Parts: sequence; structure tokens; C-alpha cells
Amino acid sequence: MRRALALLGCALLLSACAPFAPGNPPLAKYTPEAGYRFERLEAGDNTDELFVIVTFSGGGTRAAALAYGVLEALRDTTIQWRGRSVALLDEVDVISSISGGSFPAAYYALRGKQIFAEFPDKFLYRPVQSDLVRLAFLPANWLKLAAPAYGRSDLAAEFYDREVFGGATYADLIARNRRPFVILNATDMTTGAQFPFIQDQFDLLCSDLAGVPLARAAASSSAFPGGLTALTFQNYAGTCGYRQPAWVQLAFEDHGSRVNPRRTARAENRLSLAAEGPAKRPYLHLTDGGVADNIGLRGPLEAIASTNHPWSVLQRMNQKKIDRLVVIAVNAATNPATGRDQAADVPGLLDTLTTAANVPLDNYSFDTVELLSKTVNEFNADARLVEGCNKLSARKGAQCALDLPAPHRVDLYPIQVAFEYLASPEERTWFKNLPTTFELPRESIDKLRAVGRRLLNEDPQFQNLMKALNGKLAN
Amino acid sequence: MEHVIVSFPTNRLVYIDGEENGSTNEVLRVDAGTHVFELGNLENYRPASRKVEVKDTTALEPLEIKFFRKDD
Repeated sequence: MRRALALLGCALLLSACAPFAPGNPPLAKYTPEAGYRFERLEAGDNTDELFVIVTFSGGGTRAAALAYGVLEALRDTTIQWRGRSVALLDEVDVISSISGGSFPAAYYALRGKQIFAEFPDKFLYRPVQSDLVRLAFLPANWLKLAAPAYGRSDLAAEFYDREVFGGATYADLIARNRRPFVILNATDMTTGAQFPFIQDQFDLLCSDLAGVPLARAAASSSAFPGGLTALTFQNYAGTCGYRQPAWVQLAFEDHGSRVNPRRTARAENRLSLAAEGPAKRPYLHLTDGGVADNIGLRGPLEAIASTNHPWSVLQRMNQKKIDRLVVIAVNAATNPATGRDQAADVPGLLDTLTTAANVPLDNYSFDTVELLSKTVNEFNADARLVEGCNKLSARKGAQCALDLPAPHRVDLYPIQVAFEYLASPEERTWFKNLPTTFELPRESIDKLRAVGRRLLNEDPQFQNLMKALNGKLAN
Repeated sequence: MEHVIVSFPTNRLVYIDGEENGSTNEVLRVDAGTHVFELGNLENYRPASRKVEVKDTTALEPLEIKFFRKDD
């Protein structure tokens, strides 16, 4: 027995010296014409005129099931577009996802409509949480976990790679070459900034996203702090001849004038990762995407409001390519009941820390959804203002008629799928008390799938869209 | 959101910070901040580019960024 323990001790010590094996290969040469980028993906029959962005929030299997239910509903929604009957799902251009929502997003990017035959058994109905815990208790894995650059999320990534994604990498998505452009988001622990798994981001690190397993991206996106560890990525910045886009230096120089602090912060974040940044960062540590934005909506909002974005929607609006912009935010946020205020007791440390971690996140999510409405209102107000002035002046007579030039008109449809919008208080309470875990009873998953479909269909903006496109969600 | 009109006697592509962004003599939307404006196609215009800080515009009062023919 003593000998066995001594052997185990030696093995653990040896493991602690194991070198770091990066899960992201270097990029030999910066090539903006290659890699996983929006403009590189074949659009096929998917038109830009109707531009559809879908976001999937975090929330473990609860979020995955809700997102999956919405995907099913989009598949079953038929619209009349360009004289043809098409499924709304086939018009989805971009999916941005966080944490639990990243699993259906990545699976759809990889397998397309095969998701509907495969994903429920491969992920949704599977006791993933129990499987992960079991793996962590296997003595063989203790040796791996003893290495300082290997954590529980690396173990989870290996599991997802084997059991869910079948060893697929981003090279498979590039080879598949079709929309939607699916963006899995993690959080850079050092800067707190969102870290999207797209080649534009990996260019900064001089790393080739094509060699990164989808499972590793999904594991980074869902590395729930505490339960799971951050994942380490190698930063090879300065080795591939990368050049920042022109706007980065311009926005960096705007720092002093404070003309657009958000744009400046995005530029500075890019510089912090790349070779020209103030501090070299040979490694990056990525944690759950929900830490930076639990809705997955911040990236799309930047794409809508900025011409300086790797897949700028605003550029396409300026080019008059987009006539209708649909944003479907699928938000599995909860608000679990607590018995805290039923007793005079001072809340314990765990309760206090959990509250400190979750409350700012929930408040930020609320602000993010508000920002979507604000952005849409801003676009609509601009259009109304110009139209209103033209009408007013025309009423004064032909001699007073103005013909003010207006920005290209885009009809916006901000659609929200969230438990908050359930009419029945009992039903709302039930969904808002579902836990965040990678394992839920089959009945709960089925209810989530159904409620995702129903909430989509009941959304007033979705109904407006259906009216405009002569569409219908099949029963 | 800011608004600009890049003016030129004829229709040309407009490049903002090196990216194609619509056409001349139309209202274009950009985010606030310093941007570099250029035109596409034949380079018979002046100046070659304009670096402008865009702020405090509205859809009714877009910032005009003028380009001219070289021979004007």
C-alpha cells in the first residue's frame, strides 16, 4: 500500500512538470483571405437583404435546450422571400453564443440540419454533469490534473471532443463553407473583454483557428467560474506578419479626446493581445463567455453600430445590402427564489459570494437587452426624423418641399425569447427557478424546447416579421 | 451613431478606414471618432484621403466631407 502511494506521489510530481501543450496551433502567415471569417463563407441562397442574427445566452443545459427549441421553431417557420417559400432558419446569417448556448450553436455550425436528429441524444438528454464529475474522480485523470497548465475544463474539452463533436475542428467549419457564421464567445480573464472564436481574433495571436477543436471553443465558452477552470491558449503574436486594421490606430489615438471610449477600448484590447501591445502576454486564459456578456448580444450590437468590426453590419447597411435586420435574442436568464429573507441570520460566505458574482452579471445582461432596444430606436428615430421633415415641408407647398437625403432605410425586428415574457406567473416562476447545470430531467428539457418555440411565436416583433414576410410557424 | 455625406461630382465608392462603405453623395452612418475617408476607382480626385473626427452629427445635419476632381 505504501509503495502504491509512493508511486502515485511520484507520478503526480512528474505530471506537475509536464510541459504545456497548446490547443491552438501557430499561424504561419497572416492571410486575410483565408480562415473562419464571415465574408469567406458561401452565402448560397441566404440573402443579405434579410439579415438575421441569433444570439444564445449562457445557462447550462437550460440555455442549450431553449436555444435548440428556437432552432427547431426557425426550421419550421416558412417565409415568402424573393418569390420562394423558405425556412427562416435558412436565412440566419450569424449566431453568437455563450456558454451552454454554445453547444447547439457549434453543433449546428458543424452538422447543419443533422442537429435535429443527433443533438438531443448527444448532448441535451445526456447527464453531462455526472459524466464530467466521474471523469474528475478517475485516478488516471488525477495525473493530468496535477499539471499546472491542465485544468478541469481541459478534461471537459476532451470529453466534448470525444462524445459530442467527434474530433471536429474549425477546419471542418471552413470546409463546410456556409452560413451562418457561428461565433462562440469566451472571456479573456485579464482584460475582461469578450473573446470570440473567429479567425480575426486569432490573427491577433498569430494562431490558426482552423486547428482548434470545436470542443475546446465550447469548453472555453462554458468554463463556469468555480466549477470549471479557465483554459490556457498560447499567444504567438509577432510571428506571422499580422497588420492591424487601419481603424485600430485611429481609435487608439482618440484616447485623449474621449470621442468614442467604447471604440478606443476595443482598439486597446486588440493591441493588448497583439505583438505591438504594451505588455507581452505569451499566454491567454479564457473563462466562461458569460463573465463578459451572458446574452451573446454585445458583439452583434457592435457589428450593427460600428463600421469598425470584423463582420460589420453597418458597412452592409451603408452599402444598401440590408433591407431588413432581424435580431433574435434567446435569453435563458433565471431569477431563482431564495429563502434568505425568511430569517434574521446573516447570509453565509457562499451565499454572499454567489450574489456578488451573479447580480452584476444579471444587471449587465439587463442593460445589454436595453441597449438592443436603444440601438433599434436610434435607427428608427433617424429615419422618422428625415421623413417627418420632408413631409412637413411638403405640406407648405411645392415651393417649400425639401428632399433631404436619408440614410438607407432598414426595417429592424428585435425579437426576444426570455422566460420574463411568459404571461402566467406560475409558469414564469417554474422556468426562472431551473438550475444552471449540464444535466436536467428529460421533462424539463422538453418543456424548454416547447417554451422556446412558443415564446418566439408570441413575440410581437416576430409577429410583425411574419406579417411582413407572409410567414408562419407551423404547429 | 453619426452621419456623414462624402461629396464628389460623380458617383464613387467610399472607403472608410480602408473598408468599402457605400457611395458618394449619400448619407452614411459611422460610429463617432476619427476616420480616414477615401474614394474608390480612378484616383483622379483630391485630396487622396481625408482624416476627420466625426462627432455631434444628426441624420438631418450630416457632416459633409468634400472631395474634388484633380483638374477642378
